[in-house]
Order: sequence, then structure tokens, then C-alpha cells
Amino acid sequence: MGILLIGMSHKTSPLAVRERFSLSCENRDHPLDRIRQMPSIREALYLATCNRVEVLVSAAEEAEQAVEEGLKALMAERGGISGQELERCLYTLSGAEAVRHLFRVASSLDSLVMGEPQILGQVKEAYREAVEHGVTGILLNRILHHAFQVAKRVRTETGIADNAVSVGYAAVELAKKIFGRLDGKVILLVGAGEMSELAARHLLKQGIKSIFVANRTHARALEMAEQFEGKAVVLEQVPEVLKSVDIVISSTGASNYVLTRDMVAAALRRRKNRFLFLIDIAVPRDIEPTAGDIDNVYLYNIDHLQELVDENRNHRLREAEKAEAIIEEEVGNHTAWLSTLDVVPTIVEFREKIEGIMKAELEKSASWRHSLSEMDQRHVESLMASIVNKILHEPTACLREQSRNQNGKAYAAALRKLFKLER
Amino acid sequence: MNTFFFKAAFCAYLVSALGYVASLLVNRFRIAKMALWLMISAFLFHSLFLLYRLFETGQTPLLGFHEALTFFAWVMAGIFLALQFKTRTVVLGAFVSPVVCLLMIYASLGLRSAVTIPAVLQGGLVPLHVILSVTGEALFALASCAGAMYLLQDRFLKSKKAGRISRLLPSLGDLDRINHLCLLWGFPLLTMGVLTGSLWARLALGNSWLWDPKQVWTFTVWGTYAVLLHQRLAIGWKGHKTAVFSLLAFLLFLAAFLVERAFFTTFHRFL
Repeated sequence: MGILLIGMSHKTSPLAVRERFSLSCENRDHPLDRIRQMPSIREALYLATCNRVEVLVSAAEEAEQAVEEGLKALMAERGGISGQELERCLYTLSGAEAVRHLFRVASSLDSLVMGEPQILGQVKEAYREAVEHGVTGILLNRILHHAFQVAKRVRTETGIADNAVSVGYAAVELAKKIFGRLDGKVILLVGAGEMSELAARHLLKQGIKSIFVANRTHARALEMAEQFEGKAVVLEQVPEVLKSVDIVISSTGASNYVLTRDMVAAALRRRKNRFLFLIDIAVPRDIEPTAGDIDNVYLYNIDHLQELVDENRNHRLREAEKAEAIIEEEVGNHTAWLSTLDVVPTIVEFREKIEGIMKAELEKSASWRHSLSEMDQRHVESLMASIVNKILHEPTACLREQSRNQNGKAYAAALRKLFKLER
Repeated sequence: MNTFFFKAAFCAYLVSALGYVASLLVNRFRIAKMALWLMISAFLFHSLFLLYRLFETGQTPLLGFHEALTFFAWVMAGIFLALQFKTRTVVLGAFVSPVVCLLMIYASLGLRSAVTIPAVLQGGLVPLHVILSVTGEALFALASCAGAMYLLQDRFLKSKKAGRISRLLPSLGDLDRINHLCLLWGFPLLTMGVLTGSLWARLALGNSWLWDPKQVWTFTVWGTYAVLLHQRLAIGWKGHKTAVFSLLAFLLFLAAFLVERAFFTTFHRFL
């Protein structure tokens, strides 16, 4: 039996192709139903996320070519694209390569945003579906559970998931470093803009109590307030509102400062020096830079945030190297396990055969053993059993040992020949 | 048995302190977490040691100088651990555990035998006076640790170098909360410590103010903290200023303590 993986990811295929395989279309049958019916396939896993489609199967080794063709045809059919086009997007991996790929995917090393945590959950979900469809067995169970362990190891032993890698999350992280907890805090959003709204949304997810929205045009402010379920204020009210907010995100198109140092200093006195986190995303800047010199005021502009993100990204890249080493090690472990699997049937048969001989001989001797006392009969039986065990022990241990250095198959074949094991 | 608990506590504190330093050096939060657990076990051993002493000698183990030092360390560790329930400040242990270790080392120099207490110091007021004062001072020590860490984190955030180590340090909000809580509890405790001391002096010596160097110094420190607490509660000092002030106040306390020990004879010395 061998492992075969066919898939496409954000690295090999455009979104226009990947989206055709999404599982959300409920009217279609689950691909596992189809895959299960294909000949020679014993086990299967189907993973589809917005960034990848992967099919992992275990199949008889001699049928691998046919299985690959079959899976490709199935995918072409499901995606409604020509085989040629599909061929450009697909990669096919087998054996240890396939295992390594799955480990990297589960550990989020192959993700668009490296280290993002969702992928592991998606792999687990795909595995659950495979179990429900009854298409998992000894190989896939082991690979998947191993993949979950590897992902956990990578997460705890490397810093691959450390630190924010988007401006929005960087803002959240900084806010946490300043305030500790964010529940009960109040945001003020000044001006509109994609990045500032995104940052606000990230912050809102952290239990922010309420949000004020200020804009030059009141109508726009009202519109945004409705969108964020907050309160609208006009730009002139901002210095006043400053005394009751904790985080300000500013991104107006104004050509001069919306918030001056004096405004901030005055507000700070009135708010009894409670921390104030100012995020200035606007270019040109909205907040007078010297405002950041005031005690308990933390002012970050777009460059500061971007720098932080870049540094975090580099950190992740360095950590990824450690993760790759872990994966190499675990792929090795897995291969070792797989190769012991090759010799296991031989060991079982070997044992059965020798024990069979022993039993047959015992039966033959039944006639003369009658004359022995019951105690002596039992002695004879245990003597035989212990001789058999002693004889079996060395070859079995040797076979297991050899299977770890790839010689398993040759040794198993020799053993089969020597003892005339069937199959 | 007696020294076994002390040694066990000391070893655990030491390993915990090393763990904390290591976690800062290699930037791993997990190590700090393990160090915290070590500190908890150290604290338990330490408690057993103090209890054992209490039952062995039948007197509160804190009138000797070295005894008072371990008690100081014990209170500091205990309050730090208690604060872990209210704040996420595991890494603050990197500042607390070395201080506790130093106190333990110094205390170990003179812990061989229990001290004999002269008749004039016997009775409930003196131990009460020591417990209250030492606890108050331990809280101030903790406030200064939090203050020092606050200044570190504040510098990282102000200079926009909020990367590596800063990630590990507790948030400004939590550190400021510790400062606040320690002042809020430490001040009344020290006040009561001073009051019980003078009450005892009045009862035993007939005079509550002896112009003893330690009295003068404690009164100065008390006054400093009174000002700090007032600024904090009434004027609304917060964050950076209180961190600087509580660090300075504690340094003043330490300096006065060392000067007094080196150059003055005081009625107030430990046995």
C-alpha cells in the first residue's frame, strides 16, 4: 500500500480555479462518495479551503498510476475544467513526499499567511468527514494523528505563530501591551479608510465597549456609526470626546493636524492621566508627532506599525526554519513506522507457522503423554512453548530492526522463502 | 528538618529566578510559566519552614534580623503569587525572584539558631508591629519591582521597539494596577505598624517618640509614600510618574536602611 496526494494550492493555482472545488455548494455530493467507489483506493481524505484543495489516498502500490489518472479525471470533472488546464495547477506527491506535504500544511508552513491557526482546524474537519464516510484505515489514521502532533509541536516549539503580521493585528497587540485587557475600553475612529476600519474591527473583536465615529461630513459619520453600532460625532467635538476614549484611530484626508499636542495634553489632564493609545494611519499625518512625548500617551503612525509587521514577518521566517527541521524529523519517524508495517504481516505469519508446528506435534504426542501425570503434561507444554518463543525471538527482533533501515522487505522475503510462508 | 525546608525553598527560588532570566534571554514565555510553578513550590516550602520554626521555638520567627529577612522574602513572594490571580504578570517574577533569592542568601547567614528574646520585647505587640511593618515594606518592594518593569516596557513602547522582549513583559495596565494595589495595601499596613510600635514604646518605655534613627527614617519613608498615595488617588497620577516615584521612594528606603545599619546605633535593631 502506498500514499498518494494530489492537490493545488495558492502557490500553484489561481483563485478562479480553486473556487470551483469549494465544498460550500451543497447540491453536489461529497467528493469522498465518489472517491470511495474508485477501484484500488482503500482510504481517502478530501481537504478544501479557500487556499487549497488536497486529495490524500492510500492505494495498492501497483495501481498507483491508475489511481492518479482516476483522481485527476474526477477533479477535472468536478471543477469543470480541461485536463490540460488542471495539469498546470496540480501537484502529485507520493510516499514520504506526501507525508511531508501534509505535515507542512497542518503546521501552517504552506499557508498564505504562514503560521495562521485556522488550517489545523480545517484539516481536522476534513479528517472527521473522512471518518464519517468510513474511508479511513490504519495508514490515514496514523498519518493524520501524526500530523496533528507535528502541528502542535511546531506551534509550541517554534515562534511561527508569534506576533501580528498585519497592521490591524499589530494595533490590537500594541493595545494589549498598553491596557492589558481591552474589555470596557472605548475607541474613537476619526475619518474613514479601509485600513483604519479594519483595525477598528480587529479591536472590536476584543471586547471593546463602545465606539465613537467622527467625520468631516456628519452624514458619513452617521452612516459609519450605524455600520459599527457606535455614536457619531462631528470633527469639532473630537477634543471633547478625547477625555472618554482610550484608543484613537485617525485617518482623515486633512492637510493639517486634527489632534494637536495641546489638545491631547488637555484631554489627558481631564481623564486623570489614564492611558491613551493614538494610531495615526493618515498621510499626511493627523496627529501632531510631539503628542507622543506626553507621559501615558502612546502614538504610533503607519510607518511604526508597518515596521512592527515587517519585523514580525522576518521573525516568522526565521522560526519557519526551525519548524522545517521538526517536520523533517517527524517525516523520518513516520517512514520508520511505515517500514515496520511492511514486516508486520511476515512476523505474524512466521509466529503462526511455528506455533502451528508446535501444536501439531503436541497433538501427535497425545497418545503417550496420557501416561504422564497432569502436572508433567503441563510441564511438557510450557517447555515447548518456551523453546518456540526463544527461537522466534531473535529473528523477529532482527526483522523489526532491519525494517528501520529499509532492508525490511529483503529480510522478510528471505524469511518467507526459508520457512515457506504462504502469500 | 528545619534547614531542609529552608534549603528546599532556597533552591526552588534560585532555579525559578534562573528560569525567569532564561525566559527573558531566549524570549520564551513557556519557561517563565515553569519558573512560576517553581516559585509556587518554593513558597510552599518556605511556608513550611516558617511554620516549623514557629512550633519549634514557640515564638513568632521574626524578631531576629535574619528571620525578619526571610519573612520579608516570604511576604514578597506570597503577594506576587496572589497577584497572579488578578493580573497577567507572570514575567514580573523576573524582577521579584532574584530579590527574594538575595534576601534568602543573606538570611541564611544567620539562621543557625533561634534568638532569645529579652523580657521587654515579649508580648503580642512587638511581633504585630514587625509583621505589619515588614508586610507593608514588602508591598512597597513589590510596587518598586512593578515600577521598574513598567519603565522598561514604557521605554520599549515609546521608542516603537515593541518587538521581541516587549512581547514577553506584562502590559502597562497590569503593572500599573500592581503598583496601585501595593500602595493601597502597603500604606495602611505600614501606618498600623508604626502605630503599634509607638503604642508598645509608650506602654513599655513610657514614651512613644524616642528620636531613634530608625523611627526618623521610617517616618520619612512613610511620609514619602503618603505623598505618593495622595498624588495617585487625589491628583490622578498614573503610569509613568507613579512608576518613577515608587522606584525612587523604595531606593530612598533602601539607602536609609543601609546608612542606618552602617553608621548609627539604634535601639531598634533586630536581635
